[in-house]
Amino acid sequence: MQAFEYANPATLQEAVAMLGSSWGEADILAGGTDLISLMKDYIHTPKRVVNIKGLKELQGITKTATGLRIGAVVTFDEVAESPLIRSEYPSIVQAVLGVASPQIRNMGTVGGDLCQRNRCWYFRQGFGTLGKDKDGTSLPPIGENRYHAIFPKGDAYFVSASSLGPPLIALGAKVKIAGPSGSREIPVEELFVVPTSNKGREVSLAPNEILTEILIPSARGVRNATYEVRHKQALDWPLATASVALRMKGSTVASAKIVLGHVGPTPVIATEAEALLAGKALTPDLAAEAGKVAVNGAKPLSGNEYKVQLTRVAVKRALMEAMKARA
Amino acid sequence: MSTQSYQVIGTRPIRHDGVDKVTGRALYGADIQMAGLLHGAILRSPHAHARIRSINTSKAEALAGVKAVVTAADFPPTGDRIVDLGEGETPLSYIRGNILASGKVLYRGHAVAAVAATSPHIAAEAASLIEVEYEPLPCVLTAPEAMRPGAPLLHEDLKTKEFGQQTDRVSNIAEHFRHSLGDLEKGFAEADIVLEREFHTATVHQGYIEPHNATALWNNDGRLLIWCSTQGAFVVRDTTACILDLPVSQVKVTPMEIGGGFGGKIPVYLEPVAALLSKKTGRPVKIVMSRKEVFEGTGPTPGSFIRIKIGAKRDGRFTAAQADLAYEAGAYPGAMVGAGAMTVFAAYDIPNVTIDGYDVVVNKPSTAAYRAPGATNAAFATETVVDEIAEHLGLDPLDLRLKNAAKEGTRRADGLKYRRIGCVEVLEAMKAHPHYRAPLEGANRGRGVAIGYWFNAGLPSSCTISVNADGSVTLVEGSTDIGGTRTSVAMQAAEVLGIPAGSVHPVVVDTDSVGFTAVTGGSRTTFATGWAAYEAAQDVLRQMKERAAKLWGLEPSAVRFEGGHFRASGHEISFAELAARLAETGGPVVGRATVNPRGVGGSFAGCIVDVEVDPETGKTSILRFTSIQDAGRAIHPSYVEGQMQGGSVQGIGWALNEEYFMGPDGEMRNSSLLDYRMPTALDLPMIDTQIVEVPNPGHPFGVRGVGEANIVPPPAAIANAIYRAVGVRMRRLPMSPPNLMQELWKKS
Ligand SMILES: Cc1cc2nc3c(=O)[nH]c(=O)nc-3n(C[C@H](O)[C@H](O)[C@H](O)COP(=O)(O)OP(=O)(O)OC[C@H]3O[C@@H](n4cnc5c(N)ncnc54)[C@H](O)[C@@H]3O)c2cc1C
Repeated sequence: MQAFEYANPATLQEAVAMLGSSWGEADILAGGTDLISLMKDYIHTPKRVVNIKGLKELQGITKTATGLRIGAVVTFDEVAESPLIRSEYPSIVQAVLGVASPQIRNMGTVGGDLCQRNRCWYFRQGFGTLGKDKDGTSLPPIGENRYHAIFPKGDAYFVSASSLGPPLIALGAKVKIAGPSGSREIPVEELFVVPTSNKGREVSLAPNEILTEILIPSARGVRNATYEVRHKQALDWPLATASVALRMKGSTVASAKIVLGHVGPTPVIATEAEALLAGKALTPDLAAEAGKVAVNGAKPLSGNEYKVQLTRVAVKRALMEAMKARA
Repeated sequence: MSTQSYQVIGTRPIRHDGVDKVTGRALYGADIQMAGLLHGAILRSPHAHARIRSINTSKAEALAGVKAVVTAADFPPTGDRIVDLGEGETPLSYIRGNILASGKVLYRGHAVAAVAATSPHIAAEAASLIEVEYEPLPCVLTAPEAMRPGAPLLHEDLKTKEFGQQTDRVSNIAEHFRHSLGDLEKGFAEADIVLEREFHTATVHQGYIEPHNATALWNNDGRLLIWCSTQGAFVVRDTTACILDLPVSQVKVTPMEIGGGFGGKIPVYLEPVAALLSKKTGRPVKIVMSRKEVFEGTGPTPGSFIRIKIGAKRDGRFTAAQADLAYEAGAYPGAMVGAGAMTVFAAYDIPNVTIDGYDVVVNKPSTAAYRAPGATNAAFATETVVDEIAEHLGLDPLDLRLKNAAKEGTRRADGLKYRRIGCVEVLEAMKAHPHYRAPLEGANRGRGVAIGYWFNAGLPSSCTISVNADGSVTLVEGSTDIGGTRTSVAMQAAEVLGIPAGSVHPVVVDTDSVGFTAVTGGSRTTFATGWAAYEAAQDVLRQMKERAAKLWGLEPSAVRFEGGHFRASGHEISFAELAARLAETGGPVVGRATVNPRGVGGSFAGCIVDVEVDPETGKTSILRFTSIQDAGRAIHPSYVEGQMQGGSVQGIGWALNEEYFMGPDGEMRNSSLLDYRMPTALDLPMIDTQIVEVPNPGHPFGVRGVGEANIVPPPAAIANAIYRAVGVRMRRLPMSPPNLMQELWKKS
């Protein structure tokens, strides 16, 4: 690990002021479960590390007029234990309980989950965000790629690592972001971006911005669920996931949101599958059909065709799970 | 179970090293701190195969805080010769070459140079400043590829040894050997059914949690002191002395506590490098590997390509069997294919057998032992074919195995004739186990069985036992304690001395403080070091009898020792009472023994496994798992069970998850524990165990080693269970979701 300066600001304003105007100057430290390993491997070599765990503005889970606010430094464990979340958002609880291990869930934060770097092994071995060699050749399509994207975009073959992204997008959540000139709110789907350069980031934050909170609309009457296909139960990322949120009208689906995780460089919104469900009663056959439609346009690489199948299954099972869930 | 009754053996006392370990007080190699300590870092090859044109260390040397840089040029100028350090005859250049490459790099991660600096960070930075000019060469990564005529050659001077003879053929095949028994052709002609199948197993790593580490101090008096994490301090001593051209007495190795080894901590990697750096700087130098270095720079188990052909009569009797085993040695010869050949048909009495073994070098890290090295690959193949034969003949898979089971007197193709073994007993215990009879309901579920063998090792061990005035004894031994052997060795001494296990204080010491002791490996420690403790305790008793005789004015031959007491007509004194009177009867009593036992007893282990396969995702879940093993005599049953559970878990990981993902360039992609995906407690059910005891006639208490055979059957048993669950025969490891989906697609 490279030597760095450690800052422990007392207020959000102070924290923002300590960040740099370009990437690489400073890194935000929340639970550190990702950042520390990035630093140990010399993937991140910040000159300054800014701890945000102590900032009051970023803590707590509270009810709002329209739904729920989750502070960015709330841990996975707090989310999983929160009665407010458990009662309305099973899709979030399911996603959170899948993360890593009790130890990581005690340390890792929701802000950190959304902003974590991708897990592509070319990136983690020092070949940059997009995994390119010195000559600019993308390594994933020509090398080992069994955990990579089946919905690659441009030169981005990694998959978005965040388990929270898909359910939050399905539920229509927003994030609040603080920067030098005040704060802004964007839908979660706009937080995730496809980096265009090998040094780029997976989120649309500026280097001197902090994600401060997540705002989720009420899910009363919205059946929601997440289904993850995993190789291992612990210390692992999913191979493919689907989060669904169904607004019901009696026994038919009025509108559906279906978001696929770990299959593209951002969470993938399965619009075709969403349209298929609208106005229909959800049956196992229809759920399976939605799974099939959801992977239309998938472009698997040489070693990850199986993920197409896993994604179909994830969609089908998430839909069936949602029908079981309390509305 | 034997009728003989023991006081200590077979009980479950708490382990002697338990408190130190649970309180975090036990000292591991990375804990070492000393005045003036420098930190070392190793520069490793980015290429799987390349010629080294030049190495320029000047920038690294110029960095503030850097104290020394070494390369292979710093080895003593002695030329190449053939040496034998316990693993067979090897050119010294190969042993040195794997420690610091010279001329060529042979795998990605091959050590090229090393730096000592005032902090680990400076050392790492300096290593990256060393400029190496490489001429990349084409690489070969699998045995079949490397065996092809015209394949790129790793060693231009490696000539194939064939059937025991040195040939002039230069190739990547270091050795091709053959074992034959009976008449193969005739055997197959007699068969009613003949099945021939091909198997591939991936390179997997032992995955010990503690990375390799070593600290060396080349003292001003010329003596080299080493502290490290090793399965065998004497191997480190002898290898380091050989590499550095020193008399063995100039090197003292202190084994620190060890966080796992499984065979992977037998080879020497860091010690000679730390020594060279210490010599240059005059200061102690510590090197600790990262996990990535452990994966890329130390020895995993060979990947393999195996062809098995078995013929059977309609009633199930095997008439002939043939195996081709091509194992990847990695960069230097030594793929453990010999052990594969000794175990591939070990469970069966087959009259006509031919086994061909190929030791093939490839551009991967030089392989090391991994728990029953070579046997798991082989059993995966054999036991899957045996299962298929049972299915074709409509026989119960355990009945088929019992019908052909090896027994005392069975001759194996490699020449060995079995003494008393427990193959039949293990198979019978499997058949009688409630797990085997329990109903297994539900879709996509299946049950599989398999059996595996490991022959175990003997080799020398030494120990001394000093009697303390408080009635306890101190037992000094040279065996690194990986799995509770301080206790299992101490218990054998306690049994002889008639004292509780807690009254024996076992200490693992450095190479200056005990006689030569071979590695903790080959499941030999409880067997051989335990035997040394048994003999040393006998020596103590002999001397104590003399003391009692002196007290009572009798001849020593008049004194008996029974139930913890020395007795003669009219006299009686307990062990502890006599211990308190040693000073007045002539001074301290120290018993000593060295053994080099021949009566090694191999162990069979079987397992029964229930799986559920998700046919839509290819994910296999283990529902129930039972491991059954012949321990000969379970000295400490909990530790035997622990070995059985540990071996089973590693076997499950090998079966379902683990593999080196290597690109065509030979670069490992998943060189972190996150990406390597070993199973964790959450991925596994409770592993049930049942110990079978068929005493080994070659050991005073009947001990067979139990550390290894248990890893052998799980991959085959799981493959067989998967077949029963979803109807596909898996012939490639691991049986991970992508690989299993592939087979399921082919089927549908
Ligand atoms: C073994 C293991 C398994 C895992 N499995 C999963 C999984 O299945 N699914 C999953 O989603 N994740 C998984 N993770 C990742 C885990 O969720 C993240 O490491 C964790 O959420 C990061 O949170 P943190 O608070 O520790 O972030 P940190 O490590 O502190 O930060 C992570 C990154 O986000 C930035 N950052 C943190 N907070 C903010 C903020 N408020 N505003 C702006 N930038 C910020 C940091 O600068 C850093 O770049 C796993 C991790 C491990 C180690």
